[in-house]
Amino acid sequence: MKNFSYYRPATVEQAVSLLENRFGNTELLGGGTDLHDLQKEYVSQPARVVSLGGIAQLQTVQVAEKSVTIGAGRTLASISEHPQLRQLFPALATAAGEIAGPQLRNMATLGGNLCQRNRCWYFRDEHSNCLLKSGSTCFALDGENKYHSVFTQGSRCVAVTPSTIGPVLIALGASVEVQNAAGKRLVEIGRFFKAPNANGEREHALASNDVVVAVQIPVQGLTNAHYEVRQKLSSDWPIVQAAVSFQGGRNGEKATDVKIVLGQVAPVPHVAQAAMRAIENQSITEQTAAAAGQAATQGAKPLSQNAYKLKLIEVAVKRALLLASGARPYWLA
Amino acid sequence: MPWPQQRRLLGTKVQRLDGADKSTGRAKYSYDINRPRQCHARILRCPHAHARIKSIDTTVAERTPGFKSIHMVAKPGDELYFAGAELLGIAADTEEHAEDALRAIRVEYEPLPHHVKEAEALRSKGSTVGGGAEAANVTPAGDYSTDNFEQNAYRDAAAVHEAEYGVAIISHQCLETHGLVAQWDEKQENLTVWASTQAVPNTAQQLAQYFKIPATRVKCITHYMGGGFGSKFGPDIQGQIAAELAKKAAQPVKLMLDRAEEVTVGGMRPSAYGKVKIAANKEGLIQAFEVDCYGSPGVGRGATVNFNLLPYVYVNVPHIKRKHQAVRLNLQTARAMRAPGHPQNCLLTEQAIDDLAAKLNVNPIQMRLRNLPPNDQDAIKNAPTTYLALRHTIYTQQIDLVRKMSDWDRKWHPPGQGNGPIKTGLGIALHTWGGSGRGPNPTKITIGADGSVLCQSSTQDLGTAQRTVAAIIVAEILGLDPKDIMVEVGESQHGPSTPSGGSTTCPGTSPAILKAAENARDAFFAAIAPRMNVEVADLEIAPGHVVNKKANQRIPWRQACARLGMNPVQATGDWPTNAQLQQNKELRDLWTTRLSNQGVGGVQIAEVRVDTETGVVRCTNVWAVQDVGLVVNKLGCESQAAGGVVMGVNYALYEECIYDKNSGRLVNPDMEFYKLAGIRDMPQIHVHMMDMPERGVIGIGEPPTISTAAAVGNAIFNAIGVRVPFAPFTPERVLAALARPQGGAR
Ligand SMILES: Cc1cc2nc3c(=O)[nH]c(=O)nc-3n(C[C@H](O)[C@H](O)[C@H](O)COP(=O)(O)OP(=O)(O)OC[C@H]3O[C@@H](n4cnc5c(N)ncnc54)[C@H](O)[C@@H]3O)c2cc1C
Repeated sequence: MKNFSYYRPATVEQAVSLLENRFGNTELLGGGTDLHDLQKEYVSQPARVVSLGGIAQLQTVQVAEKSVTIGAGRTLASISEHPQLRQLFPALATAAGEIAGPQLRNMATLGGNLCQRNRCWYFRDEHSNCLLKSGSTCFALDGENKYHSVFTQGSRCVAVTPSTIGPVLIALGASVEVQNAAGKRLVEIGRFFKAPNANGEREHALASNDVVVAVQIPVQGLTNAHYEVRQKLSSDWPIVQAAVSFQGGRNGEKATDVKIVLGQVAPVPHVAQAAMRAIENQSITEQTAAAAGQAATQGAKPLSQNAYKLKLIEVAVKRALLLASGARPYWLA
Repeated sequence: MPWPQQRRLLGTKVQRLDGADKSTGRAKYSYDINRPRQCHARILRCPHAHARIKSIDTTVAERTPGFKSIHMVAKPGDELYFAGAELLGIAADTEEHAEDALRAIRVEYEPLPHHVKEAEALRSKGSTVGGGAEAANVTPAGDYSTDNFEQNAYRDAAAVHEAEYGVAIISHQCLETHGLVAQWDEKQENLTVWASTQAVPNTAQQLAQYFKIPATRVKCITHYMGGGFGSKFGPDIQGQIAAELAKKAAQPVKLMLDRAEEVTVGGMRPSAYGKVKIAANKEGLIQAFEVDCYGSPGVGRGATVNFNLLPYVYVNVPHIKRKHQAVRLNLQTARAMRAPGHPQNCLLTEQAIDDLAAKLNVNPIQMRLRNLPPNDQDAIKNAPTTYLALRHTIYTQQIDLVRKMSDWDRKWHPPGQGNGPIKTGLGIALHTWGGSGRGPNPTKITIGADGSVLCQSSTQDLGTAQRTVAAIIVAEILGLDPKDIMVEVGESQHGPSTPSGGSTTCPGTSPAILKAAENARDAFFAAIAPRMNVEVADLEIAPGHVVNKKANQRIPWRQACARLGMNPVQATGDWPTNAQLQQNKELRDLWTTRLSNQGVGGVQIAEVRVDTETGVVRCTNVWAVQDVGLVVNKLGCESQAAGGVVMGVNYALYEECIYDKNSGRLVNPDMEFYKLAGIRDMPQIHVHMMDMPERGVIGIGEPPTISTAAAVGNAIFNAIGVRVPFAPFTPERVLAALARPQGGAR
């Protein structure tokens, strides 16, 4: 990997002051589980790396009456193990706890998770000059695409959004606290993710001199759950993920304000509107959940090798809804 | 010198002597070796699956910071046939500088047509893998038919089954990548390499040949080794490059492949696809086995899969017809991989048998019992302890054992039965392997006056606990504890030894170690008898003691050794030469049918849980029964079998080299999308070793991995009632099979 200068500021302000107005030459560093990989693979070659590891402020978790604030520097492991987070947001805690394996969860941070680059194997191959580099072709379209998008949403890059925390946070209505030289602002999580389509673009809407400081999640008494279809239990990516939240919906009660968000199926987390409509104001049973699952595939346009994901979307949505409703997970029988 | 009748240590469970060293990191693998002034080397590889080099410009690279030396292996005009082919190596003061220097090299290529998918190559004409105008990627690799196949094969058929089966190319994925550290002495005359190799003396020899220097000038050291599985029999091109760079830099050079290189060029197991037609009569006896198959050896010309083994294990099928083709592709050359050819043949045979059994409505265990190959009449007369003479007996016993261990009779259900979306199933498969060892494996034993015992040879420990094997044998003969024996392996200056391939190390070394231990004991007695005023015949070994039978006196080992005075005793032991074995039947019988032997059988049952909504398969249990002849270390044997099962489960469910048809590059040269089971994905593994001491030592490094994948495939079929034709049995393939019961998608 190319040599770089390493900075370890003690405050967010100092970190911000070290950033530049384009990505590439200077990069922020959380746990490094993604950035260092990209550096070693010569996909990313920053000359300067600014670690957020020395900033105490990013490590806090504040549980208030109306909202919970989680510092961007918290590790996935600490989020998955946090008793109050587990109680309020089981979807978040389980999603964090299922990511990769313990070594990775002990290093990876919340901020890094949300800002990580996609895992498309063409993008990550130093020798393939895809449209996220200086090329003009998405090689997955006519290539190996079994893990790619089934909802391309008009994006020319068909890599899937990598974070499994993202869809959960959307379902929970979270916001991202972002800081730059002008100060702090809140970005609604639904507007945070963006499909990159050219060199210099990222999987999120932030600028290169923005730092994710924290994530705020409103405490609204939402029932929530998340389900992933994983081939392996150790160190693997899910093939499809569904995060759900709603009011009520337990013990035969009707579910309202339903949100259903899919991961690993589109370049950004996919809000499954038709599925949300299908289950809104219904009590959750295997039948209604399955119907919502079917609705969730509406509008999908699978690529040459990933039509199987449609079936997995149906199942993930059904199971996430059932899990949230408190039903016994029949698939663990 | 047969094996002792009374076994105190042999066949028991002995923990590996270097276990703590390995788990604490004290054990140093080649990857851990760092020499003073060492530099680091990287290799520039062709990014195209097929290309001609137009030009190479290294001038800028040679001026980059830290640059030390460069060694060219390809030149302008050369044609390279796979992505990953070597162009040159560069050494620099740090790994990072070496990487940067590589990227400062400018190469112009003329890309040429390539094939990396078997199906595409099969449809093509001409050659993308070189070999002149008349060459082709697809070449017939042999046809075979029993007499009058067409007339006879299906005459008595009560059921015929026809289907396609197959398995993808996988990589060896050695945890320790290929590579070595090379150091020349000051005069640049003598080379020492710390290599990750399965063949210590051979690696030294091959380097000596490469540099055209006497073999005595190259020393290879491999104290610990992190996996080879058949892919590490010499220095390889990267070893040559490292040694060249070290010479040019006049500094030690370390060159270990990175993970992407390891998967791209570190070895692969050929794919195998075949249309199988199989028929049985109404008694359930298989009458015909017909197969039209192909596999890819990569770019190499070597054999792909040895399809001559089809039908695998069930060799007494009367009517057999085989056609096979080698499909050469623009990717690395296949290398031997743990039981080369057998897992593929097992998949192609055992899965077809289960499908046929289902058509006949016969329980898979019955189907196998009916079709087991008989004990061979000639062998019973001439070589009664061999697999050929015993196979029917062994398999019958093994099936009985594994059936009970797995509770098959209670758990098994007809294919596809069971309620709900989660289905469980059981599957069985059989395997066989040679596993015979030979010399030379000279072993030297030194007994010191302080009671210490040193056992030295150049053989290598691939992770099989070879040190422990040696210590058990020596301790058995000398009445000591294995911990009392200091074992040194993995240094070429200890003399010749056979490469660790074909499951030959334990059977190849154990008889030599036995011989050495007996010789050492005899030399020891000869040295101390006069000093004790007794005859040699008056002395014998008892645990921890030397017994003076004449005086009815038990002398503690150390005290007895003290009588050696100033001079330690040394003795060596080795196999007779091959000529001696050939000429002398008695000797041959002793060494090859009593001290060691060849041919084993094994049976495995796998249990799976299939989520029919997601297609996700979990392997929950594997029961493995393995025959191994004389068990030296029961714990080591069981670990070896468990390791084989781990690999087999990966072969069945996860592993696959995925090549991009357009670029010809591997898209998953990693451990992320090249999936490998982690601890939570492992089944419970239940191993039973059959101990048959009268047969002598037989190697089982390879066999326990053979039948796992087929057993898993059959268990999935049993669970869901449809065949998933192509391994690995990934969610998309399982879902495709469920959606389309008549076939499935690759
Ligand atoms: C085998 C495997 C399986 C995996 N499975 C999953 C999974 O199931 N779900 C999932 O979500 N992830 C998964 N991951 C990815 C993993 O979660 C990410 O690598 C990790 O979350 C990144 O966090 P980090 O702190 O190490 O990021 P870093 O590598 O430090 O940074 C990643 C990116 O974010 C930027 N960044 C970091 N912090 C901030 C900040 N505060 N503000 C702005 N930008 C910032 C960096 O500049 C960099 O571009 C998997 C990874 C592997 C290898």
